[in-house]
Amino acid sequence: MSGRRVDWTIVAILAIALVVTLSASFIPNWIRFLGQLAASTALASVGVMILLRAGLLSFGQSLFYFIGGYLVALLGKYGGTTDAFVVVVAAAAGAGLVAVALGFLLATYRGIFFSMLTLAVSMVMFGIATKVRLFGGSDGLNIGLMSYVGYRPRGVDAQWTGFVFCVWIWTAFGIATHVFLRSRFGRFLGAVADNEIRVEYLGFSVHRVIWVAYAIAGVLAGAGGALAGLTARHVDPQFAYWTTAGDFIFVVLLSGQASVLSPAFGAFLLEMLRSYASAWFPDQWQSVFGAMMLAIVLFLPAGLDHLIVLSGLALRKRVTPRPISLVQGSSS
Amino acid sequence: MTTLSAIIVDAASFAAWLFLVAVGLTLVFGVLRLLNIAHGAFYSVGAYAGVFAIGASASLGWGIALQLVAAIVAASLMGALIGLLIERSVLKRLYGYPEALVLIATYALFLILDDLTRMVSAGQSLYASQPRDGMGQITIGGLQYPVYDVALIGISLLVALAVWYTLERTRIGRCVTAVVFDSEISAAMGIHVGRIKTGTFIVGAVLGCLAGALTAPKIAVSPGLGVEVIVIAFAVVVVGGLGSIAGALLGAVIIGLARSLTAHLAPELEIFAVYLVMAGVLAFRPYGLLAPAEARRI
Repeated sequence: MSGRRVDWTIVAILAIALVVTLSASFIPNWIRFLGQLAASTALASVGVMILLRAGLLSFGQSLFYFIGGYLVALLGKYGGTTDAFVVVVAAAAGAGLVAVALGFLLATYRGIFFSMLTLAVSMVMFGIATKVRLFGGSDGLNIGLMSYVGYRPRGVDAQWTGFVFCVWIWTAFGIATHVFLRSRFGRFLGAVADNEIRVEYLGFSVHRVIWVAYAIAGVLAGAGGALAGLTARHVDPQFAYWTTAGDFIFVVLLSGQASVLSPAFGAFLLEMLRSYASAWFPDQWQSVFGAMMLAIVLFLPAGLDHLIVLSGLALRKRVTPRPISLVQGSSS
Repeated sequence: MTTLSAIIVDAASFAAWLFLVAVGLTLVFGVLRLLNIAHGAFYSVGAYAGVFAIGASASLGWGIALQLVAAIVAASLMGALIGLLIERSVLKRLYGYPEALVLIATYALFLILDDLTRMVSAGQSLYASQPRDGMGQITIGGLQYPVYDVALIGISLLVALAVWYTLERTRIGRCVTAVVFDSEISAAMGIHVGRIKTGTFIVGAVLGCLAGALTAPKIAVSPGLGVEVIVIAFAVVVVGGLGSIAGALLGAVIIGLARSLTAHLAPELEIFAVYLVMAGVLAFRPYGLLAPAEARRI
């Protein structure tokens, strides 16, 4: 893509953020709350998407979600820090550091090994979190009200500010990730999924590509976890549980991997589905969730955004390129 | 001395459980080349089938032996039914799909089955300790152990023997081995590969359910017990080598020993023991101890 052309993804992200911010006062409370949750889920899901583009399915992004959320809680409780910007940056950085350390080891593994090892790490964290008193055991920790560079909103204002804050954090991380994916280094992700040996022969380290991707995914999940903590104002060990990681996978599966925007829609859809499902059939959410997942895998493995891509192409009557999806680079 | 004997007995009994849990997983991986996350759910389905069978037969006034037989039959039937349904309706369509998608599909199946057990039990913990209580205690090295736990070691060895015999000494077993080795060539040689895959998956599901049913008298059967099982079974299978039955046995023994050693000597390390062993083995032999290294295909 040449430098002069307008990048429509960035324009779209900014437009969404602006429109949502301007209309925030008119959006009902519960949708704002869902939006905040969706923003946090979306950030973590983008991390899953990045790894999937390299052909790796992480079942352990919940680990970084947990780290992000708990860093916010612990900073508030023991550090006395309540500035939202500071805690979110700290959470993303903390999760990123852990991801750098873990990623060095995990980047050696592929396929089911990668998936199951990431799962194992997050389940160990879950086990620790339920037992350690510092983390409040299985009850978790509460998070106080946040301040925003000195501004301390209360009541209705706090809700509004929190919503706008989440939206713009999502915007910032989303644009940064998009720029990364568009860069030369970002393009290597797909190359790694396609053919690792070819990448090595071109003189690039596959290990480093995956390591960096894992670290970035960790940062994004950490930021997401921090937003989730700020939104719910409570964190518990469930953050590290594998169903949380399953949610992120579902989002990416549902929305597809065409762009950074896809998981945002997927995440919002997921939160809507979840809140309606808990009203209609409170006890069967997990089976409904599983059944939807299964249906997508069986009938639309490229995700919903592939429908948009396909219809766009049909309008322009072009040859269908290979969809960006799990289906690419199928098992050798 | 008592610590030593306790370590050995605990290791053996934990290893027996690990093998029961892992053998179905590794068998299915060997033949179908997919990691079945739903195996953890088979375990919990089996545990519930066992609890209900034992409860029902106990209320009919049957003896301990009959209660156990009822549990085993119920779990096997459930396993066969679920295995058949899942393989025919879902997995069959996914052969040749990328690993990640198949993994997601089995995860979805896990969620559905796990939710079903939750609905059946209404979220309550259930107990079926009659057979274990009824069989009394045995003294080994100055410490008392439930006879049931010790008997499970024997049962686990029996299962290992049965699987080994079937694979090595029967015609069907040789067909399965051929499919593991190269499914295309075996199809060319006239082996019905699809049927072998279905059969293997059913056997794997039955083994998973059996593991649950046999464990049910030892534990409080509650929803969500399948997650831990799949993670730990994967660790066992990976240590021994994916797809290798002997590897599953070896992995179970090593991890059982590691867990029992840490439990007695360094309790704070116990939850890490399994993963430390797995990480250690993977660092030196990424394909596991007993799996032959494969040449990477370009």
